[in-house]
Amino acid sequence: MTSPVREVAWREIVTRSRTTSFRAITGILVLVAIIVPVALALWPDDEDELRTVTVGLVDVEQATQQVILAFAEGNLDIEFQEYSGSSIEVVSQAVAEGDIDVAIEPGPTIVWNKDIDFEIAVVLNNAFQQQDVLARGRGLGLDEQDIANLFTPLVVEERFVEGTDESDEVASVVALIGLMAAFILPQAFGQLTLLSVVEEKSTRVVEVLLSHLRPRTLLLGKVIGLGVLAVIQLAVVVGGGIAALLLTSTFEIPASVWRFIPILVISVLGGLAIYNTLFALLGSLISRQEDASQVMMPTLVPLIAGYIIGQSAIFGDADTGIAKVLTLFPLTAPMMLPIRVARDAIEWWEVTLSLGLLVLGVLLLIRVAGRVYEFTLLHTGARVGWRELIRMSRGALD
Amino acid sequence: MAGGLHVQGLQKRFGDVVALRGINLEVPTGELVGFLGPNGAGKTTTMRGILGLVAMDAGSVTWNGSPITIDDRRHVGYMPQERGLYPRMKVHEHIAYIGRLAGLDRSTADQRASYWAERVGLADRVDDLIQELSTGNQQRVQLAVALVHEPNLMILDEPFAGLDPVAVATLTDIMTEQVERGVSVVFSSHQLDLVQDVAEQVTIVAAGETKATGTVTELRNRSPKRLLEIRWAGPEPDWSPPGANREPGRDGVTRFVVAAETDASALIAQAATAGEVAAVSYQPPGLDEVFLELVGA
Repeated sequence: MTSPVREVAWREIVTRSRTTSFRAITGILVLVAIIVPVALALWPDDEDELRTVTVGLVDVEQATQQVILAFAEGNLDIEFQEYSGSSIEVVSQAVAEGDIDVAIEPGPTIVWNKDIDFEIAVVLNNAFQQQDVLARGRGLGLDEQDIANLFTPLVVEERFVEGTDESDEVASVVALIGLMAAFILPQAFGQLTLLSVVEEKSTRVVEVLLSHLRPRTLLLGKVIGLGVLAVIQLAVVVGGGIAALLLTSTFEIPASVWRFIPILVISVLGGLAIYNTLFALLGSLISRQEDASQVMMPTLVPLIAGYIIGQSAIFGDADTGIAKVLTLFPLTAPMMLPIRVARDAIEWWEVTLSLGLLVLGVLLLIRVAGRVYEFTLLHTGARVGWRELIRMSRGALD
Repeated sequence: MAGGLHVQGLQKRFGDVVALRGINLEVPTGELVGFLGPNGAGKTTTMRGILGLVAMDAGSVTWNGSPITIDDRRHVGYMPQERGLYPRMKVHEHIAYIGRLAGLDRSTADQRASYWAERVGLADRVDDLIQELSTGNQQRVQLAVALVHEPNLMILDEPFAGLDPVAVATLTDIMTEQVERGVSVVFSSHQLDLVQDVAEQVTIVAAGETKATGTVTELRNRSPKRLLEIRWAGPEPDWSPPGANREPGRDGVTRFVVAAETDASALIAQAATAGEVAAVSYQPPGLDEVFLELVGA
């Protein structure tokens, strides 16, 4: 025996995934997800390039030059210009005219033009200090090993109470991707659900199906099938992106980001479930694809509201009154909840209540849609009116 | 109560329109029943009511003596009037899919899909999309879809519409074969000559009510009219039986419509006195005329 829900779901997955449009869109998204990290890795970041600094040298020992280069490594790209034998005026003129950034005279003395460049100053001062300590150590009779021990650096660990700016940035980026997924996927796959219902009505195949299935079974199979297909598409795209990130090692995902990934996944799944059901219900009200845009219009209101408030919550205050309300409303919760969790701007009871209301909303909508399905699937001709829809829904809420 | 399908007093109203006023229909086990009626008589609504596609306002549908259930309905083979197929599914895939929805496991559904595709003459088209088939071939797929799960009851709404003579013969063979297997088959059709040849029992409905039920012979015999046809050996005499309607004849045959209670032998004897009779036939009207009498056309 086979499960009718599974059969309906499987047919949706197979037939929709075979369409050229689905394959093309998935291919493009995977390509984008792979190209972005690769491009970031290949494209040199301005911040990665070292500033080149020209240092004029007046009778500076070779050993000191080596120490300066060692301290500058990873911070500055030092180029030396020899001024040994030149007069103070010549060196000063070179600094004043910007031929060199700084000069070192015996003493040692550092020659600046007007202002001290602290980045260069730190490198040069550390180098001179080290050379001086080395000279004193040798003067005191220390051997090279003792001196080397003296310079073994202390490893200082760091701890952040509120996380670093970098982890906040990554969390915001992931939350933004989640918001886009929760905004786009329900629309794309909701429309597929709607069109699938309309196709079955217009071709009258629904009559044959309903001679074997209950309307609610057909509805559930459709919602689950297209929901699974959406998750597969998302997994392929995100998987491609993560693989590209790992291979190019452009950055690591901080541990704090992984904390809200489960909420993000649950929210996206909840969004798909509630919107696919809603779109299936709307599809049962019409008989022609031409009427689809008209009947879908009301669903755009919560989607757009959730998207706009979600964006402002990512980049601004995530703890506003409207953000709190939309977190609890099942049609906007899939967009708001992960963002507020990512921004750490939500209480645990809000998370629990939001998820509870989302699950309740999905169950209630499935019940209503199943009821409406029974009345409307064989309906052809003019669109079923909203008043008629409310009348049909009443029985489901008894 | 005998086995099979028993429909009693079905009533259905769509807003102000009364579709069914009390339909009765019997489809005994292993019998083929023709379900006849003019357009809008309520045939399709009755069939949808049996399948649970439309909720009835009153009446009952029983299968083998018990109210029909969703499980019983999974063993019904249904061919709707407006053909219902997925245009972008392949022929084999589609037949097997409906088989699985009806409860077959994957391998059985595949085997049966191959078998029925061959039986309806589509063995070489199994990998074609439905939308690539002609209307007639789509109808063959529809028939295979109705048969794939080996139903106990077949409900066929206008199954002969749009079929060529070869397909009609195939369908007739399959229907007869199913009946021999013990399947109850009910079908609607406007091709009354075909119904007369194929169906054992006939139910005629009009304006949402059952007007008559019985075998074709019974229904014909119940007619208040009889047809007297005389082929004259010589010139046609100016003769008519008393109270008869004379209808235009052809090829030397004169046709009279007389009351059923008329003494046929006396009538033929009278005719023989009026002229030289080469051949005579006295019989009830055909199903098409009985149909017209009952539906009031």
